[in-house]
Amino acid sequence: MQDKTNEKNEKKWIRHGSRNLILLGVGASLLAIIATSISLAIYHNSGDIYLDRSRPGFLPDEVEAQAEEDEKDEDYSFPKNGKLTAEDLDEYLEKIDVEVRAIDSYDDPFGAGALSDEKLGIPKAENK
Amino acid sequence: MKKICAVMVIFAMSLVAMPVLAITEKQEAAIVDRCEIIRDGLKEVQKNDARARVHLGGRYESILSKFIMPLNMRLVENNLPSADLVENQNSFAETKTLFVNDYINYQQELEELVAMDCKNEPNDFYEKLVKVRQKRKTMQQDVLKLRTLITNQIKIVIGIKGKA
Repeated sequence: MQDKTNEKNEKKWIRHGSRNLILLGVGASLLAIIATSISLAIYHNSGDIYLDRSRPGFLPDEVEAQAEEDEKDEDYSFPKNGKLTAEDLDEYLEKIDVEVRAIDSYDDPFGAGALSDEKLGIPKAENK
Repeated sequence: MKKICAVMVIFAMSLVAMPVLAITEKQEAAIVDRCEIIRDGLKEVQKNDARARVHLGGRYESILSKFIMPLNMRLVENNLPSADLVENQNSFAETKTLFVNDYINYQQELEELVAMDCKNEPNDFYEKLVKVRQKRKTMQQDVLKLRTLITNQIKIVIGIKGKA
């Protein structure tokens, strides 16, 4: 009796095999869509999207990529250990100056000019 | 006296809450006419800002992790801790974090501005533009503060070197 019931159930599964396969596919796709949507929402809401330059339209150009490569070659870090001498501090000042010059080479970062009325072609409000 | 003060505070707050500028008809017409050009310009600003953020952010990180922190550790190891340098390190780390957070806030506002319908809502568009400018100003202040802290760091190190 038990054998007959098992056989019946097995046949039922086989008969509905294609339907189950479709259900599995649809379920998996839905799960993937939901998971991706949640990930994208977190990526956007956390603000990480604005820090990510690998997104389309924000990729570094060739010159920038080359400059980054060159910087990797000139990697320097002040040693954390050892006796501290005036020569060490001289070297420190010399190396930090390279970073400072790189920062200063950037002309007016986040300056007001880029979003000014003049730059955007909006006429200035006339004073009454 | 208290009432007068309260009225003055409420009046001052209402001034702050008021829209910064009412745009003229000429400005409104220019925004409507040049809507697409203005948006393209804003997109270009977005790209340049992303470049500036990466460039400056990388340098700030480098200065903090390769110069400021190792020197403090070494000074401690040599029993010469400098309170000024520790304070400078804390301020620098704090402002660097602020720089990133302010950048995210600024970019969120800028993205909303780019997505706005400047053809049909020029007044709202300009109001938002004024807000974005304020956020950008905060960014500029962060950059200036970080630069001042770097100058402080160098001055303190020169002072230590003089005593060495």
